[in-house]
Amino acid sequence: MDKYYIKYILGNRLRFIFYCFLTVFFLIILRFFYIQILQNNYYSTQALYNSIKIIPIAPARGLIFDRNNIIIADNKLNYSLEIIPEKIENLSTIVGELSKVVSIEEKDIKRYKRILKNKQFSNSIPIKSNLTIKEAAKFVSNSYQFPSIELKETIKRFYPQGSVGVHFIGYINRISKKDLIILESKGLKKNYIGTDHIGKSGVELQYENELHGISGFEHIEVNSIGKPIRVLKTSPAEEGGNIHLTIDLKMQKIAEDAFKNKKGALIAIDPTNGEILAYVSMPTYNPGFFVDGISHKNWNKLNQSNDKPLLDRAINGLYPPGSTLKPFVAVAALENQLRAPPFKINDPGYFSINNSRRFRDWKIGGHGEVNIIKAIAVSCDTFFYGLAVELGIPRLNKSLANFGFGKKTGIDLPNEKKGLLADAKWKKKKYNKKWYSGETAITGIGQGYTQVTPIQLALATSKIALPNKSIVPHIKLNSQSLRQNIDLTAPLIISEQTIQWVKKGMENVTDDGGTAAFIGQNIQYKVAAKTGTAQVFSLKKGEVYDEEKVPDHLKDHALFIAYAPAENPKIAVAIVVENGGHGGSTAGPIAKKIFDYYLTSESH
Amino acid sequence: MNFTFLQNYIFRKIDRSLFGSIFLILIIGLINLTSANQQDAPQTLSQIFNIIIGVSFFYLICNIKTRIILSFAPWAYLISIVLLILVNSFGIESHGAQRWISLGIFNIQPSETLKISLPLMLAWFYQKNDYKIYYKIHFLAGLLIFLPFYLVLIQPDLGTSILILWVGIIIIFLAGLPIKFLTISFFGLLVFSPFIWNSLLSYQKQRILSLIDPFSDPYGSGYHSIQSMIALGSGGGFGRGWLNGTQTKLDFLPETSTDFAFSVFSEEFGFLGVLAVIAIYTFIFYRCMWMTSKMQDNFSRLLSAGLTVSLFSGFIINLAMISGIFPIVGVPLPFFSYGGTSMVVSLISIGIIMNLYLNKSLIAN
Repeated sequence: MDKYYIKYILGNRLRFIFYCFLTVFFLIILRFFYIQILQNNYYSTQALYNSIKIIPIAPARGLIFDRNNIIIADNKLNYSLEIIPEKIENLSTIVGELSKVVSIEEKDIKRYKRILKNKQFSNSIPIKSNLTIKEAAKFVSNSYQFPSIELKETIKRFYPQGSVGVHFIGYINRISKKDLIILESKGLKKNYIGTDHIGKSGVELQYENELHGISGFEHIEVNSIGKPIRVLKTSPAEEGGNIHLTIDLKMQKIAEDAFKNKKGALIAIDPTNGEILAYVSMPTYNPGFFVDGISHKNWNKLNQSNDKPLLDRAINGLYPPGSTLKPFVAVAALENQLRAPPFKINDPGYFSINNSRRFRDWKIGGHGEVNIIKAIAVSCDTFFYGLAVELGIPRLNKSLANFGFGKKTGIDLPNEKKGLLADAKWKKKKYNKKWYSGETAITGIGQGYTQVTPIQLALATSKIALPNKSIVPHIKLNSQSLRQNIDLTAPLIISEQTIQWVKKGMENVTDDGGTAAFIGQNIQYKVAAKTGTAQVFSLKKGEVYDEEKVPDHLKDHALFIAYAPAENPKIAVAIVVENGGHGGSTAGPIAKKIFDYYLTSESH
Repeated sequence: MNFTFLQNYIFRKIDRSLFGSIFLILIIGLINLTSANQQDAPQTLSQIFNIIIGVSFFYLICNIKTRIILSFAPWAYLISIVLLILVNSFGIESHGAQRWISLGIFNIQPSETLKISLPLMLAWFYQKNDYKIYYKIHFLAGLLIFLPFYLVLIQPDLGTSILILWVGIIIIFLAGLPIKFLTISFFGLLVFSPFIWNSLLSYQKQRILSLIDPFSDPYGSGYHSIQSMIALGSGGGFGRGWLNGTQTKLDFLPETSTDFAFSVFSEEFGFLGVLAVIAIYTFIFYRCMWMTSKMQDNFSRLLSAGLTVSLFSGFIINLAMISGIFPIVGVPLPFFSYGGTSMVVSLISIGIIMNLYLNKSLIAN
């Protein structure tokens, strides 16, 4: 039996086992062939995906300087402590240990947890940012206790001038979903992978592309817990370009200081080339608020304040121009062969259409004999009521549009408002009401529906000063020639005679008897100007405006436009002081400070 | 020990092709280990030491009388069982299982010793009961298998316990268990499988479930399977080069020195390297089976076949495991993975096969 068993049963079964195993070996080879040869591409990608992380390197944002190389927007090193979540076992013990070295607040822990919850990749998460140099040093000397925490250096926007010029500088803030959609539509999203912040207003927004720079990338090999092992490839970030502005920061500060606590706006422009020298909108706020993400409380405070600090009054503030419109109305009349000297009127102190409603002059009893030059100098309302009625709205608006009213000036800042030159068609559409000739009369003295921005006033003033220059107001130095897509406002085609008369009128404003005569005293240069007072609300019939009795927020706006020196204009300004009362006395001194600085100071 | 002993035993002719191919695997395994342990020299040296011990045992066993092996069989089994009981009570815990027992200067894994002692015991048992191949004998043999199987299973070490059961069943099959009975047991197993499933620990269930679709839970139980398949797949045809496998170097692959040593090899040497190594193993398998077929008696053939099946079942399970067709159960690749007990046991197994082949028959002694 043993022999038989060995020969047949065991022999056969051994052979059976042998072939079974060989078959399994073969199947295993097939399996390896399938994975290694047929699926090679798939698994190679998986291996790469496992081990290579692409870390974007955010470029340093370009700096912003004024025209004299004074820094306005800077970058500052920021130290933060970051944790690699995979490396720690218990957050609270780590934080407990860490807070012996650096103070950790409840909000830091909250933020850490929030970011941890939303994180996509195996990156480190800040547990504390904005460390002082002292705190950073203290951590470094104790860092051996915290192998899972690293000190990171990042660059952060810093505005060394504080709130000075905040409206044209603008601010940056964390990139929002809306920003991402815009970036994607422009095909720029990839460039922003490593970037946290984006320009939200002012120059920071306008020149975002130049300031941002180009993202770099680091290909890093990481191990299974996401720890970087080595850098495989680096394409460094290209830092953003620096921008020089046309702003003269010293003048900017003088102007802002001159406003004291008053609200309003100021534009100082070089009429020879359109460079904005000062750009004020009051009140201001601190742009640094936004860099770390503004808190809800601060935002509400800024946004809901009656003083509207977030409103950029220089290009978004809409004001009735008041009497500052008169020189431009005068040009319109003269160019239409109306009211040219020696034409004069005898001003009784009021103007009436068909002897019905009377339109009062600001001076009770009137100015006596008034020609167009004197009408500008003493700001004679009666003269301009009649002029406007005879000229008519269509001819007036056409001429005003030539000065840039009713349309954007094209300044290189976002969201400029275009103001309003109203006419019968506009009123019909807006209110479905007929246009009255009385409305034409008050349009002649800059009241009524007409609305202008300070930048428009400044541009129009510099066009009076130098009518043959075609300029676009701009805030980035040497940017005018680059901005091909904007139609330069064509040079005004005004007769030499017209401009001489109007200029004469404006020069007389600062002479004895003019509405801003005090400016002309003790001064080495000649200022041509025009004052204005814009009513915030209409007086009832027979009511007399009494500055003492009117609450502050209903007081008239003070306006002032000027250029100097009169014979060779180098600077033009437009000033609005909200609720400032009379233009000459409130806004005039501000202009004088700027002219003094610009035209007489040694440093310039 | 005198000169005659050396002449008669140490220099006796051994099968050069078998030993040569094993030696080749040992060398490849060492080269691979250097990469797998990321040039951890002490571990590599320790493996060289394991090989020296194993080869010494191999030579010793090649040259002893077969009767000594035969008479040692029940004792070997008894020692293994005692060690298993000890390890379950006082063993060193690793990965949630007690598998190791400390013997002073080194640790051994009693479950590994069963790969020798169980075939030895079964062969001895059938030899004792020669000419009486009845159901009762097979049933008693079954009990001899079940005891160590159970002891290893509760460690818990699913992989090794299945291997032990599998080897035992093949030996009973070779010993002549009727086909009829095999069929009945197969259906019996089907019926009882739900009960077996319930007795498995949750991590073992997880591993088996993850096999069905490892990608369904890529960071859980399927993680090791996936990482190993990525290692294999990214190796491609020619491999990524020695020391250049990112799956190994960056710690994506677990247990690179032991269970997943061949994943490391596959990543770095590609399908060509895999083919070469499997070819060498196939040759060793063929050679062992050929030697078994030349043996003249029941004991030799059963023992030799049992040891061969034990070695190559480990080989199959390990390769199936790392290529994602078998759950991750922790079975090392014989001659290749790092590990003293496994290395010494594998080389002793080959030594016994060689001894049986050289002596051809118990009667010849």
